Amino acid sequence: MEHVRPSTLDEALEGLAAPDAKALAGGQSLLPVMKLRIVRPSVLVDIGRLELGGVHMSENELRLGALTTWDELESAQELGRPALAALAECASGIGDLQVRNRGTLGGSLAHADPASDMPAVVLALGAQIVLRAASGERTVSAEEFFLGPFTTALGPAELITEVVFPLVEGSGSAYVKVEHPASGFALAGAAAVVRPDGGQSVALTGMGGQAFLLASDADPVDALPDAEIYGDRFAPVEYRRHLAGVVARRALDRARERMEGTDE
Amino acid sequence: MSESVIGVSRPRVDAPDKVTGATHFAADGHVHGLLHARLVLSTEAHALLQRVERDAALAVPGVVAVLTADDLPLASAGSDRTTEPLARTEVVFAGQPVALVVAESEAAAEDAVEAVVVEYEPLPAVVDVEDAMLPGRALARVLEEDAGGGDLESIHAGVDKGQEDGEEEQLSGNVLDTVHRNAGDATALLETSDVVVSGTFRTPWVYQAYIEPQVATAWLEPNETLVVSTSTQGSFVTQRELARAFGLPLERIRVIAEPLGGAFGGKLALMEPLAAGAALALRRPVRVVLTRAEDFQATNPASAQVTHLKIGARKDGTLTAIAARMIVDRGSNAGWGVEGITSLLVAGPYRWEAHEIRGYGVQTNRFTFGAYRGPGAPTAAFALETLMDELAVELELDPLELRLQNAVVEDDVGVSGNPFPRMGAVEVLERIRTHPLWQSRDSLPDNEGVGLAAGYWPGGNEPAAAVCRVNQDGTMTVVTSAVDMSGVNTGFAAIAAETFGLSPDQVRVVAADTATGPYSGASGGSKVTYTVGKAVLKAAEAAREKLLAAASEELEIAPADLEVVDGVVRAVGAPDHSITVAEISGKALRFGGRYEPIEGHGGSAQTRGAPSVAAHLAHARVDRETGEITLLAHVIAQDVGRALNPALVEGQMRGGAAQGIGWALYEELVHDENGQLLTGSFLDYAIPLAERVPDIDTLIVEVPAPDGPFGAKGIGEAPVIAAAPAIANAVAAAVGIRLRELPMTAPRVWATLEESGA
Amino acid sequence: MPAARQLELVINGERRSAEVEPRTLLVHALRDGLGLTGTHVGCDTSQCGACTVLLDGRAVKSCTMLAVQAEGAEVTTIEGFARNDELHPIQRAFVEHHGLQCGFCTPGMILTASDLLTRAPDPDDATIRRALRGNFCRCTGYQSIVDSVRAAATALREGEAA
Repeated sequence: MEHVRPSTLDEALEGLAAPDAKALAGGQSLLPVMKLRIVRPSVLVDIGRLELGGVHMSENELRLGALTTWDELESAQELGRPALAALAECASGIGDLQVRNRGTLGGSLAHADPASDMPAVVLALGAQIVLRAASGERTVSAEEFFLGPFTTALGPAELITEVVFPLVEGSGSAYVKVEHPASGFALAGAAAVVRPDGGQSVALTGMGGQAFLLASDADPVDALPDAEIYGDRFAPVEYRRHLAGVVARRALDRARERMEGTDE
Repeated sequence: MSESVIGVSRPRVDAPDKVTGATHFAADGHVHGLLHARLVLSTEAHALLQRVERDAALAVPGVVAVLTADDLPLASAGSDRTTEPLARTEVVFAGQPVALVVAESEAAAEDAVEAVVVEYEPLPAVVDVEDAMLPGRALARVLEEDAGGGDLESIHAGVDKGQEDGEEEQLSGNVLDTVHRNAGDATALLETSDVVVSGTFRTPWVYQAYIEPQVATAWLEPNETLVVSTSTQGSFVTQRELARAFGLPLERIRVIAEPLGGAFGGKLALMEPLAAGAALALRRPVRVVLTRAEDFQATNPASAQVTHLKIGARKDGTLTAIAARMIVDRGSNAGWGVEGITSLLVAGPYRWEAHEIRGYGVQTNRFTFGAYRGPGAPTAAFALETLMDELAVELELDPLELRLQNAVVEDDVGVSGNPFPRMGAVEVLERIRTHPLWQSRDSLPDNEGVGLAAGYWPGGNEPAAAVCRVNQDGTMTVVTSAVDMSGVNTGFAAIAAETFGLSPDQVRVVAADTATGPYSGASGGSKVTYTVGKAVLKAAEAAREKLLAAASEELEIAPADLEVVDGVVRAVGAPDHSITVAEISGKALRFGGRYEPIEGHGGSAQTRGAPSVAAHLAHARVDRETGEITLLAHVIAQDVGRALNPALVEGQMRGGAAQGIGWALYEELVHDENGQLLTGSFLDYAIPLAERVPDIDTLIVEVPAPDGPFGAKGIGEAPVIAAAPAIANAVAAAVGIRLRELPMTAPRVWATLEESGA
Repeated sequence: MPAARQLELVINGERRSAEVEPRTLLVHALRDGLGLTGTHVGCDTSQCGACTVLLDGRAVKSCTMLAVQAEGAEVTTIEGFARNDELHPIQRAFVEHHGLQCGFCTPGMILTASDLLTRAPDPDDATIRRALRGNFCRCTGYQSIVDSVRAAATALREGEAA
């Protein structure tokens, strides 16, 4: 296996064109699966030092660089507002202190573990994912990005460069999860957004397949009985479906409290 | 006499090395020319081993050999992990080592393991332990091997198995051992008891999860001595096992026990036969280090058990009879099982008028069984202490008072037929009764509850020896071969210092090995402080006698009129008339010296047991919507005999309680119906994390053990035993449900709540 | 197959050179390449934290980093954590407050505590326990570790001399 460290994004994209090449950012998703020999890249394109970080807030949107670490998300002052609270709330529950020092937003979204937390948040917040390939840049909605377990819209020689979140003034968001006691991954995780116009969004993760939005009707929880939810040895499907409802409701309640300014 | 050092909390003697990374654990040492070995593990739970294809593996650069059982110079037939470290003909569990790949680097070995191709002829996998007992069922082992023996059992739980039985149950060949304890007519007594409660309780296979994976290194010295440097609980027992495996005389084997990164019962003679076998076969140094995945699959966790239990009492709370049928899943290839000890401990620290207890050790196509802190005890306590609470409810009696009323005192006869030695069951319960948490148990918010449970560990006895040697500078070196698993070295330093008359700073404790050290049994069974500590005390006394004899000559005062304080020998009542220990030692340790070296050798051979009782209170909150249990507080009261070093004793109490929390809420090793391990990593197997263990209040109760050093006894195992039922009883108090299966995971709690309509 | 090469790393303030392959994990470069065995391997799923080192002062799991990823950064292992031959206040706190038994998890605990106390000089118990999620201990039940970290925080705040 080779390791290359490109100095520009274009070089990185070139490197990714090689067969069985993988991008290495923080390595907190990729290295564990390499150690399990599930993934065996022939080339690691180390993008960890490219200029793809940063938290950029403007009047109507938040742009997060792909290499923003969970720790940076957790501690960014700009993310304290109720509309975006789900981001830091989610980041602070990912992995542990050491993992959060290295793990990145882009790396995790590209890996798309069906039990990972952040996909639910980017879905509920209606984010856009900015992708770059040698052929140019394109933007994909979060909904179009997550296609299946460990499967995304990313092309073979394409990288996430940014994730863009629209700012809905006066809204509130939250992320609530019940975690598997061993892995820390979501048995059920819900990201919720409540908007001043009464609109609500809830996205679920940990349901077995990729993270998904519940139909944003009057009460997203009504959509649960028809949602595709899978059980496993630890958490049978009835339990998981029930949990989904619990975390969805709790996330909505907390998002609403933040919107109304009644949270602690 | 200056202040006693007994009962003083001092840092561990090995703490400075451990916080600087200076401690060399067993995988840390550099050995010239070392080869690295990795295991090829069986993918079948039960099969005949047809072929091991090595060519592709041998072609990997850096690979030196691929060894199978035939390549190891094993001396005897046998089917335990010592005599059959690699499967010979029949594979009996998924994860059983089948071959050993030895290479110049770990990476090469790891690559080569993937290239080894093993052909199996599958056989039916026996996984249902109760079904496996029935006559005519498929056997978990079809080929007869000489069940060799070895003495690993005695280290942990040397108890008798109860009486021989004329009447025979019809049982399959999977039942390797039966235990029957019977006195009085329990059946009749239960029928006439005012209240009877019963239930079936299940506990899973549980992994010791020491943070240091298993490792052993072996090499041949030029004089053909086989040296094994290993992470083990016992050097002499390992030496004996290796002698048994390879037919070598003891003096040709030297076992060095390195600092232990946790063991809790699981590190006894598993890796050493592999490393030694490879070193003997290849005549080069070989190190076997398990990956965590291998450690999950191929070591020796604690047995799953099914316990059918029934207990009865009179209206006034007097316990009448206990009837139990306990089925122990012994897994595949251990030489012993916990059916003896679990059938003893299911009776708890209580008096019974009659008992009818049967235990069965059943082989299945699962792991090699191993000991884990109080083997057989947490499972027994989970059943008994749950039913004790249910009994209290039926009797409308306070659960603590019910236990206190029936708690054994010295000379009460237990279900072993032997009288209990002095132990603090009453004292521990009385102490925990005063705790504010118990006092406030009826005034808690909704969905919160406090539960109580008690248990005991009988302790262990094994003769031991120690040496105390005074050095030229007046300091002392204490030499034992005991492995420091629980902080015993710090205790030895205190015992020696106190007995001899030095400050503990002037005492060093060194661990010797089988070539150089005085005898010590394995660390385990809660006996090291009690037995080896006693030997240290006697060695220190012997050294002191020598010191006083020499000082007496120097000072011209009778030894009886001398005292030793902080390294100075002085006349009682005339402290200026003195001589230092260093001065005396200096007169002894030189050419032409006139005194014998100030050294003492001591031995111990206690026959009286020193059981330790521990009671727990758990304060739990249940989230009805998710089923999650949050532990808000925990209290443990334990009879420790004498706390030589309270901080270290508290560490054992908290550590044991935390492992009990693991039993209660998190830990289970799960196989599928084909005997394949589904929970083979920490991603699936949860151990308690810092956030999940509450502050644990420790209440030290001292009921001195008559034969222990300063009254101390072994205390390592008692604290784990009753933690889980305390939590289960707290859950019952909180939300009114009783789970009869461990662990009490959130999905199980929720499902039980749903079923109960609560 | 890519050959091993000499990798220059800055470890405990010194320039060191280790022979590594691209796939060599930092923990193995430290232990096998440089003989710094105070960093331990306890699992293979990046959970237990026995391998924790500091990378530019931040706690990372050296089993979940390639050695090459540490190029150009300052790595601190437990061996380099003491101050001028005296125990660091965190190390001293662990000794005095009995924050260890077998000691296998201890280097990782100390270095994670160092990261925590750098960013949160006065953490409450809940914060300390949360910060230790990535550090498993099987011996102590954690309470004495929490006590040690709290004591270390106090010592550092009061400017305890190294």
